[in-house]
Amino acid sequence: MTAVVVVEAVALVILAVLVAGLLRSHAAILRRLHELGDPTRRPEPREVTFRPMPGMPEPSAQASAFPDGRDLQGTDLHGDAMVVSAVGTHHDTVLAFLSSGCSTCTRFWRAFADQEALHLPQGTRLVAVVKDASEESPSALADLVPPGLVVIMSSAAWADYRVPGSPYFVFVEGTTGRVRGEGTGLDWEQVASLLAQASGDLRFTMGEAGRRIGKPAADAERELELDRALLALGIQPGDPVLYQQATAPSFLADEDAGAGEGTETPSRPE
Amino acid sequence: MQLTSHGITVDLPPGWEGRIIKRTQPSPAPSVGKGTAALGGSGREERTYPITHLANFALPNDRGDFGSGAVDLMDGSHVFVTLFEYGPESVGQPLFRDQGRPTRVRAAQFSPNQLQRTLAGQAGFQVFFTEQGRAFSLYIVLGSADNARPLVALANEVLAAITIDPR
Repeated sequence: MTAVVVVEAVALVILAVLVAGLLRSHAAILRRLHELGDPTRRPEPREVTFRPMPGMPEPSAQASAFPDGRDLQGTDLHGDAMVVSAVGTHHDTVLAFLSSGCSTCTRFWRAFADQEALHLPQGTRLVAVVKDASEESPSALADLVPPGLVVIMSSAAWADYRVPGSPYFVFVEGTTGRVRGEGTGLDWEQVASLLAQASGDLRFTMGEAGRRIGKPAADAERELELDRALLALGIQPGDPVLYQQATAPSFLADEDAGAGEGTETPSRPE
Repeated sequence: MQLTSHGITVDLPPGWEGRIIKRTQPSPAPSVGKGTAALGGSGREERTYPITHLANFALPNDRGDFGSGAVDLMDGSHVFVTLFEYGPESVGQPLFRDQGRPTRVRAAQFSPNQLQRTLAGQAGFQVFFTEQGRAFSLYIVLGSADNARPLVALANEVLAAITIDPR
């Protein structure tokens, strides 16, 4: 009789241990499921970082440093006050930073005499920006500036747009006020090509014929889809986050840590 | 962005640009005196006074004192404003008896008949006044008479941003 009682007691202890183990593992499963969240709910947007694929050329530090567009305040060649609006406008603006002294600029002054031949897209305005009268020669400019060209003398604009020297060109998108591209060239053809690349508008190089050449539909759709995804995350063109080094999400980092020697990670070529 | 010269200052609202010019040679007279004053005698030396042009579109280089050359480029969302100063001999004249410029204009005050240059669809408004001892004409063109109410709101915004100092 005593032996039977002992055996039952041992069995009860073993069953109690088994039940406790089952309850504990069940609790652990529930806790993990809770951590994963409700699979029917859309995940909240989280902060992400982007970078070019390893081995691909990265944008230079300058690429993320386009200044925002600014209106221009200065004078005309007669010293009369003027403000030229480039931000918050319905038109885009090509700012041509020129001077009376640089020999390359002479080509542009000549080219600007016939603005029709420049193939500026409709709604795009050309404004020549020279430095203040204290740093320029209004009389020399009077000989160079063709009739009809809007010219503003504004050293402040040179500083605002961080112009390294003349000639230099900046394309400002009026509706957003953003600088879409900037650079220089030896003649208008080179600059027009630069502007076409920056704006995606082939009319800079081809005139109105460029309007008819569009991107392949698949490319345009893919681009639109990516833009929407980025904008949904609050990332706009030029956002510094687009040019940061990527950081792997924590769950990937954990996997990488435990992956062992068999895992290869791509490395950037020297 | 602030536009200031000759005792006239305009804190331009976003999207607006402006010029304050003083003609070196007076252009042919418009309606009243044309902002020039003969100093008398056979020398015919003439003085000119500031002309302020404000617009919510790209102002071209070649503009008449009352906007010819610019108003031709306007579309239905555009507003053009001229503040034209006359010589001191105009101060005290009946035409300039109103003291202070209007800071709020109404859509009902605009009419195609008040345009210096009649262009289809546009409407204009002109008023003469004296402020800070200086005689002015204020001339406003709306790009679309049919769209007058929102355009007048834009005009009032820029009118409120003008400051005139004594000469």
